[in-house]
Amino acid sequence: MTEPYLEIDGIRREFGPVVAVEAVRLTIQRGEFMTFLGPSGSGKSTTLYILAGLDVPTAGDIRLEGRSLLSTPPQHRQIGMVFQRYTLFPHLTVAENVAFPLVVRRRPRAEIDAKVKAMLRLVRLEGFEDRKPAQMSGGQQQRVALARALVYDPPVLLMDEPLSALDKKLREEIQFEIRRIHQETGVTILYVTHDQEEALRLSDRIAVFSKGVIDQVGTGEELYAHPTTRFVAGFIGDSDFLTATVTAAEKGRADLKLGDDVIVRGVPIHGDPGRPGAKASLMLRPERIDVATAPSSAVDGDRAALPATVEDITFLGASIHLAARTAWGEAVAVRLPYGHPAAAGLARGQSIGLGFEPAAAHCFL
Amino acid sequence: MLLQFDRLGWWRWVLVGITGLTVVYLLMPILFIAALSFGASQWLIFPPPAWTTRWYGELFADPRWLESAWVSFVIACVVAVLSVVIGLAAAYGLVRGTFRGREALKAFFLTPMILPVVILAVALYALFLRVGLNGTTTGFVIAHLVVALPFAVLTITSALEGFDKAIEDAAILCGASPLEAVVRVTLPGIAHGLFSAAVFSFLASWDEVVLAIFMASPTLQTLPVKIWATLRQDLTPVIAAASTLLIGLTILLMLLVAVIRRGTRS
Ligand SMILES: Nc1ncnc2c1ncn2[C@@H]1O[C@H](COP(=O)(O)OP(=O)(O)OP(=O)(O)O)[C@@H](O)[C@H]1O
Ligand SMILES: [Mg+2]
Repeated sequence: MTEPYLEIDGIRREFGPVVAVEAVRLTIQRGEFMTFLGPSGSGKSTTLYILAGLDVPTAGDIRLEGRSLLSTPPQHRQIGMVFQRYTLFPHLTVAENVAFPLVVRRRPRAEIDAKVKAMLRLVRLEGFEDRKPAQMSGGQQQRVALARALVYDPPVLLMDEPLSALDKKLREEIQFEIRRIHQETGVTILYVTHDQEEALRLSDRIAVFSKGVIDQVGTGEELYAHPTTRFVAGFIGDSDFLTATVTAAEKGRADLKLGDDVIVRGVPIHGDPGRPGAKASLMLRPERIDVATAPSSAVDGDRAALPATVEDITFLGASIHLAARTAWGEAVAVRLPYGHPAAAGLARGQSIGLGFEPAAAHCFL
Repeated sequence: MLLQFDRLGWWRWVLVGITGLTVVYLLMPILFIAALSFGASQWLIFPPPAWTTRWYGELFADPRWLESAWVSFVIACVVAVLSVVIGLAAAYGLVRGTFRGREALKAFFLTPMILPVVILAVALYALFLRVGLNGTTTGFVIAHLVVALPFAVLTITSALEGFDKAIEDAAILCGASPLEAVVRVTLPGIAHGLFSAAVFSFLASWDEVVLAIFMASPTLQTLPVKIWATLRQDLTPVIAAASTLLIGLTILLMLLVAVIRRGTRS
């Protein structure tokens, strides 16, 4: 690890009785693309606004290269920001919008012209200099906003759901541009979204927000493969949750009882099980469940198997979705790749066995 | 749309008829007075037996008419400027403030609109007697500001509500001080609202007569007061000419507002 660049040190923000941000702690490296991912109202925007200086934390500190930013007013923080809503200055042209930060800084005309030109090239909007914001599409406006936020070389760029108002195709196109711009400029980016696909596509690391705290930070793959909370497991990727009882636990692994008599051994466990008999939930990824056409609760080698029946089968092109129900009545979604041998002979009402590797499952308390 | 005009059949001719009648009803007095101002009859006979611009000649030949028109104009201009400045400050507090009782305060700012003007006039007259403001330009301005301000507060408040604060925030993050952000970004963004507020405030003062009658002195009269005073002495078509000019400027300004509104929308 290199030394921390941007540190969010236990910030808290209360709005009267509402605690918008409870205790957010996070360290960001220079040049990193960090995404805040979380459901609506989890405190992502509030955290970003505090970093920008548009809001003040009730407690905690933020530091850039070791120096606290809290006493610096927003206009002097040199932090760029792109908002969710369109915030171009309506009475100025595209070129004047991008030039605004430099005009405010009283830079010489020649430098302003050169930088505005370079920025519009970066966001691929050459030739739009004299348009007014109202004459631009939403995607173009956000690209101008991006150019305006980057024109004065801010060390940190904040983006609060900049693409949420755009349609899917345009969104993907601009995501690609943002990635390219991140690589070309090397700017440190903090990006907010509640779209997990967008987060996975863009970020070096993702911080998953839930109810005003960060549940887990890691690369997309880490969060997917090793979620540490039930919330993260449910938020990143698809997941099945089954109720279970802990029968034994040691060294981060647990033996679980499902239904009346199915025992699954050696599931990675998150949280303290306390004494045996604690209620827990077993998390499985739908694409890591295998289907055996003979019902079985026997343990076959290292694999566990749950007896179930098929309730519905949906063909989705590259994959086949199976809605199954365990013998004790819990719903399980299964995703089989197209062409999987087990998928061929399946019919509704059929008894099957759901096989999975306990080590790849997770137990949350 | 639930009610589509094109699908109404013959009902739509009823609507057209009602609209037409309303327009005629509203325009009648104006057309009537304009016609009389060009009529040759000394006794304001309608329809005029012949046409003339004689009354306008008399109007412009009389320095007292011109003087009162000038007084009206100056007072209305000062009122317009002050009203926009004060209205902007009030609107900022009402829209961007987070203090309690904003709605109540907003309603309070509009009370001069519903309060009978004559009551306001009596109250101001009594007050100005004490401080010696009756018959002064300052007195006129203060009195007219009371009736003009609600228009400015209302217009600027709605313009400011329609202007996303995030745009101002963006300007600040671009490096502008809060004041600079307001001057360079917010004010240009609500310019049409400021302009409308100025025009409405101007007009609120320009054709105001009740307060003006109380404030006026023999040496300081606004145009509406002069019209009223002349009317009580003798009925001359010059009054019609003066009224037509008063209405003319009003209509001109309203057209200007409409044109500018249209310009900012497209
Ligand atoms: N100015 C405010 N006054 C009162 N409560 C607020 C204010 N701003 C935010 N909150 C509350 O704080 C919580 C977190 O809000 P925040 O905007 O940070 O969420 P978010 O994660 O950005 O959500 P979204 O995805 O909907 O944008 C919410 O419950 C919200 O209602
Ligand atoms: Mg938000």
